[in-house]
Amino acid sequence: MNSDSFDPAADKRAVEPGTPESPSRREFLETTGATVAASAVVSFATPAMAQSTDTDAPRTAIAVSVNGVRHEIEVEDRWTLAELLRDAIGLTGTKIGCDRSECGACTVLMNGAPVYSCSQLAVWADGAEIRTVEGLARNGQLTPLQQAFVDNNAPQCGFCTSGQLMSATALLAANPSPSADEARAALVGNLCRCSNYNAIVEAVVAAGEGGAA
Amino acid sequence: MTQPTRIGLEPLETIGNDTPRIDAVERVTGAAQFTRDVKLPGMVYARVLRSPHPHARIVSIDVSAAMALPGVLDVITHVTSPIVWGSGCVSGGRQYNDPIKDATIHRRYIFNNPVRCVGDSVAAVAATDRNIAEAALELIEVEYEELPFVLEPEEALADDAPRIWPEGNMCPDTRNRFEPMTSRIGDVEAGFAEADRIFEQRYETGFVHNAQMEPRCALATWEGDKLTLYTPSQGISNCRHDTARDLGLQDHQVRIIAQYMGGGFGNKNQNQDADLIAAELSRRVDRPVMLEYTRRDDWLGVHGRWPTVQEYRVGVKDDGTVTAMQMRGYSGMGPYRKNSGGISGMDYYACPNRLREIYPVYTNRTTSGNFRAPSDPHGVYGVESIMDDIAYEMGIDPVEFALRNMRRPTEEMQFTNYSLEEVITTGAEQFDWQARRRVQPGSDEGPLKRGAGFSFMMFRAGLGTSSAVVRVDSQGQYTLYVGVTDIGPGAKTTMGMIAAEALGVPLSQVEVVWGDTDRTPYSVGESGSRTTIMTGYAVVQAAENLKQQIADRGMPDGADVLIGTATPVPTTDGLIRQCFAAHFVEVEVDTSMGTTRVLKYTAVHESGRIINPTTARDQIRGAAIQGIGQALHEDLLYDPRNGQPLSPGYYRGRHLTHQDIPDIDVTFIETDDGYGPFGAKTAGESGIILAPAAVANAVANATGRRMRSLPITRDKLLQEVSA
Repeated sequence: MNSDSFDPAADKRAVEPGTPESPSRREFLETTGATVAASAVVSFATPAMAQSTDTDAPRTAIAVSVNGVRHEIEVEDRWTLAELLRDAIGLTGTKIGCDRSECGACTVLMNGAPVYSCSQLAVWADGAEIRTVEGLARNGQLTPLQQAFVDNNAPQCGFCTSGQLMSATALLAANPSPSADEARAALVGNLCRCSNYNAIVEAVVAAGEGGAA
Repeated sequence: MTQPTRIGLEPLETIGNDTPRIDAVERVTGAAQFTRDVKLPGMVYARVLRSPHPHARIVSIDVSAAMALPGVLDVITHVTSPIVWGSGCVSGGRQYNDPIKDATIHRRYIFNNPVRCVGDSVAAVAATDRNIAEAALELIEVEYEELPFVLEPEEALADDAPRIWPEGNMCPDTRNRFEPMTSRIGDVEAGFAEADRIFEQRYETGFVHNAQMEPRCALATWEGDKLTLYTPSQGISNCRHDTARDLGLQDHQVRIIAQYMGGGFGNKNQNQDADLIAAELSRRVDRPVMLEYTRRDDWLGVHGRWPTVQEYRVGVKDDGTVTAMQMRGYSGMGPYRKNSGGISGMDYYACPNRLREIYPVYTNRTTSGNFRAPSDPHGVYGVESIMDDIAYEMGIDPVEFALRNMRRPTEEMQFTNYSLEEVITTGAEQFDWQARRRVQPGSDEGPLKRGAGFSFMMFRAGLGTSSAVVRVDSQGQYTLYVGVTDIGPGAKTTMGMIAAEALGVPLSQVEVVWGDTDRTPYSVGESGSRTTIMTGYAVVQAAENLKQQIADRGMPDGADVLIGTATPVPTTDGLIRQCFAAHFVEVEVDTSMGTTRVLKYTAVHESGRIINPTTARDQIRGAAIQGIGQALHEDLLYDPRNGQPLSPGYYRGRHLTHQDIPDIDVTFIETDDGYGPFGAKTAGESGIILAPAAVANAVANATGRRMRSLPITRDKLLQEVSA
């Protein structure tokens, strides 16, 4: 999903016809374009995906690492981290269920700790390491936790799954062999309205060292 | 993995074996594309402005300031877009019936004037950015003339109550008659005359929002006269038809795409006003329009389970035989009737004299509509509460009381098979009912009190014809085309398993194409627990059709393919086809804190042959947990002074979390009655029906006090135990 190429044609499509592109937007694109030349590991948003038509909105330039890829990007100050990830960077695996810290569907790891990305401003992620559900599997190889989710039918509709996975990933990093009660405590901020709680906890325990047998 | 206990049948080749979902990897890697994840070139965003008043006439709307905001492309209102949402206010269970949509006198528009509840939609904005659209909402100037409002169904029936519709507040039936839904069997007065004792009680149940994790949204785009809607739908075929009908199009001019969707539980049946608003905006601005509901939009602008008042009268002989059952019920439907307002449960009894009158009533609360087993959990809570009290009052074990009085096959009413007694006795044994229940309710010493409760049911799936198409190519690869969406239960996988079994090939040889009306045939939709049996039956028949072609002509060569199709009309030869279940619950109530904790939960179901035990298990576990939430937590409270909703959203609704959840033990008694695909019966909704009753009975058994109002919240419980 993560684009590492700049497609000017895509940008044209995103611009309101008859609305001249603002200087700040051009500057933004030129700046990020220049950065690409300077750094091999930089990626940035496909502009067609970015929501940046409000030319008056205050912006701030940040640098954030997402799933190991460094992004230097100018964000609107009002963007949440979830908006940055989903709309600007195009990583839509992170879901927005409530947009107000109630459900946990948007949970990502920020410097290793689970946070609700709907309730973090994008600018607060400046300098941070973010990990999303797209950053779990490597080269098509699921993590043991993801495999346990598959084997135990942990997703029903799947909308809360990314958040459950991220909270559980943080748990397993701190506690490689969690009990069911420890799993429940760590995932208490992740609601599942399909109420597949039993299967999710079984998957987390199975993914731990104690559950591997 | 905790496997369900299974009694009765051996697995077939594919069916009956635990099978991971065929799209499980997409669900755990973030690759599964939900509607909000779709991005189209030039796409713009939309937001809806909602009424802040419970009842008001819109005098004027000034959109000029909103239109002047840079980035705003259009604002639509009831003036610009008087579009009738045909299935938005159609009485009970008839939402798929066009003549009834035409006949109904209370038409619901995508924007209504007057507005009739807080959250009723007033206007919608399309802008180049969602934050601009949101900012524009605040610039729309609406002048309201506030009208008197009414929140409680019984008050709404008073002569001097504020009128929500010109004819009054009683909801009309499908023929526009303003009469209660009445079901009369035998002679109830004669039954009471025959009784030695008569019991009376009144119960209330709250509004329960579906609260699916994915809020409503819709992405509309037009190519000429053809509309494509990406929308989370529990029935793409009906969504297409209803959307076409509401917009004055032919069905083929609308394409519905629902690849992944984040739950619905009845919240996403038919088409929704969101679909129509997105389509209208997209047509006007000539861009793809993504309409996103906020969580609050979804809570107040869609629907949930109707709140009820239920008044029972039951006559019993000294030997414990029920001779008469009577109930008068009131269902608060909000200002639009999006389902029947039914209150079920009395029909589980054999009692020959029954009278049930239900008044579906308009109120100025949010709309009531489908939520998993729409008429059942609240009704079973009411019936089983009074029956449980009667049993203990008469010194009879409630399980014994049920076995004595429950409905059984008769000469006139035969079942395809009947397992009600078996699910009850199996559950009682597995749960250790005799050891866990208190013969004397409330007899534990001290503030922590334990007790056990149970409930039982039979449930019938909705009917409806579906089609299926199966294709085989010269490489032996099969492709199944079915118009299902996977709302969570795993329909995609189940359909693939049924096809594999019927074709005699491994599941890996069957690709499933789903969730797109331009690629799949008609399917009845994910409502009424009917996908597995109705669409699944069509899959079996399409596979048989294909196998016959292969037998006649051999496998195809080169670029040739063979295509099998079927549109069967399932029949049960006049027999009643029900699934059966009994749930047993042990709770611990802290009578000093008012809290209730579920300690043990045993669910025994007979749903015929189980197609995929893993996903079937989790339909039952998840549904039971939703039912526990209805029993103990969930409600939508209103401030009676101003008609404002007080507890929308997960936090204030106090939805269950990981730490509130017991392990749910599931047992399937499997049978093959010769009907349905390989003997499969309905399962999806049934799991939610019994939890509220069983939990409430367990609380009564623990405390010795009957909680007459759901949810059993701390304040209510403390009030009751200190009374």
